[in-house]
Amino acid sequence: MDLKTSRTPRAARLQALLRRGPLPEGAFRSPLHEPRTAVVIGRWLGAALLICFATGLFSHVLQDPPSWLRDHLPSRPVDGYRVTQGLHVISGIAAVPLLGAKLWTVYPRLFEWPPVRGVRHALERVGIAVLVAALLLELFTGLLNTLQWYPWPFPFRQTHFWLGWLATGGLLVHVAAKAPLIAEHWRRVRPALVERRGFLTAVAVSVGAVTLTTAGQTVPGLRRLDLFAPRRPDLGPLGLPINRTAAQAGTTTAPADWQLVVDGPRAYRLTLADLRAMAQVTVRLPIACVEGWSADAHWTGVRVRDLLDRAGAPPGARVRVTSFEADGPYAVSELPADHARDPLTLLALRVNGEELTADHGFPARIIAPNRPGVLQTKWVARLEVL
Amino acid sequence: MRAGTVLRAATALGGAALIGYGLYGLLHDHYITDPLDVLGWAAGGLVLHDGIWLPLVCLATVLFARLVAPRVGTLARSVLTVLAVTALALTAVALPAALRAGTPRVNATVLPLPYLRNYLLALAALAGLAVATAGWAVLARRRAGRR
Ligand code: HEM
Repeated sequence: MDLKTSRTPRAARLQALLRRGPLPEGAFRSPLHEPRTAVVIGRWLGAALLICFATGLFSHVLQDPPSWLRDHLPSRPVDGYRVTQGLHVISGIAAVPLLGAKLWTVYPRLFEWPPVRGVRHALERVGIAVLVAALLLELFTGLLNTLQWYPWPFPFRQTHFWLGWLATGGLLVHVAAKAPLIAEHWRRVRPALVERRGFLTAVAVSVGAVTLTTAGQTVPGLRRLDLFAPRRPDLGPLGLPINRTAAQAGTTTAPADWQLVVDGPRAYRLTLADLRAMAQVTVRLPIACVEGWSADAHWTGVRVRDLLDRAGAPPGARVRVTSFEADGPYAVSELPADHARDPLTLLALRVNGEELTADHGFPARIIAPNRPGVLQTKWVARLEVL
Repeated sequence: MRAGTVLRAATALGGAALIGYGLYGLLHDHYITDPLDVLGWAAGGLVLHDGIWLPLVCLATVLFARLVAPRVGTLARSVLTVLAVTALALTAVALPAALRAGTPRVNATVLPLPYLRNYLLALAALAGLAVATAGWAVLARRRAGRR
């Protein structure tokens, strides 16, 4: 047998493969794998990602304020955090179909041939890998966190935070790399591609569908459409959901000798009867959870400001709030000065006209405007002027 | 240098800086004891999405283009696309809730709704609309052909 002729066709095929790539020309039939579709969906997805990043940073800063910021956190507007965190979760959920549509549109680019055309192109592709991997995991962990479902081995909060930087950085690199193509396809061309119009309508409708069936967990007018949100603001004991139950926190029964300790220049203690005998105030404030749901309630109790004045606290003081909950990341929280002084900030004893239940923080809990629900410490044992 | 070039370079550098900061944070965070776990899940997600999920979607679009699209008009094609994409989006958001709601929970205020029922009803509604659209489109074609 002639070696040469038997090897030539195979070598030729191999050479052709190296020249053209593994997929034949036209392997992807849809006319929608093209830049204009990528730009339109990219704009929506980019906007959703940037909203998530900005509102996520805001939430992070409220929970772990750097020292230069912690004395400047405002307690108003009352609904500030409710709106930003509601937007965070709404945009994140909207990003799910947007990411799916975007990745389908650009899928043929994955098989681009040759895979790398030089250093800049290699960097661009590494950036794309970072962007897509980070965003996929970001949306997955975010969505499951709202269900309080953690099937992965790493901590949610920190991972979700750092992935946010990776995804946003990847977005900036991506937009810079594609800038000429984006500019070229920024405006609509006529006549419009019929398929594109149908597809973009489909993507818009699907975004609307996932938004309308979940946003009722925070947007009051949408409650009736709420089919899939993990929370309903009106479902729970005393008409209010619970983030962490007393059973989970080990606080189903308050210590029999419970007293509120107020530490400051003039420290003192109060029994529950003492607190009930003080001037009671009722305010309407939302619980606005990091997980994206929020619910208004009527809270009754003693103004924290009054408790602090009695302890001789200086006007700009922050307050450390400690729970009798055994441990857990939120057993201790800090009230910024602005919140501590706000007349709406209460040490609440009652909610919606009833005494607090163990799940809602009996005997006393903090409720203050414009901050994450996890900081509204329940089962309060001690206030400490800092 | 043109302003556009400068802006483009600054965006790329800014993006690289954010990536660098994110990586540094991920590797040095005290709570994240094993960053390789995160890398594994991120890479795994990429592989599942691009290696399994998208080929399946592409297969479905090919079948749609071969079997359905030639038999119906443009409008029906668009309506069917809307229904299919919406069903996929709702699945991504509702299926995790339906699965999770089926497991025992300590906190009854998390997932208080009948998620599986809601999800199946939504799918049934979309499927009903799809069948009606396709049926109407096929009939309309036949009638137009006979004339
Ligand atoms: C926010 C998250 C985004 C993700 C995850 C994403 C993802 C991707 C991916 C994976 C590609 C293929 C890259 C390649 O290998 O060539 C791509 C291409 C592209 N993206 Fe994005 N993108 C995003 C945002 C944007 C934005 C904001 C825009 C513009 C407004 C945009 C415009 C484009 C364009 C024009 C292409 C090239 C399409 C083509 O060559 O046919 N993307 N995107």
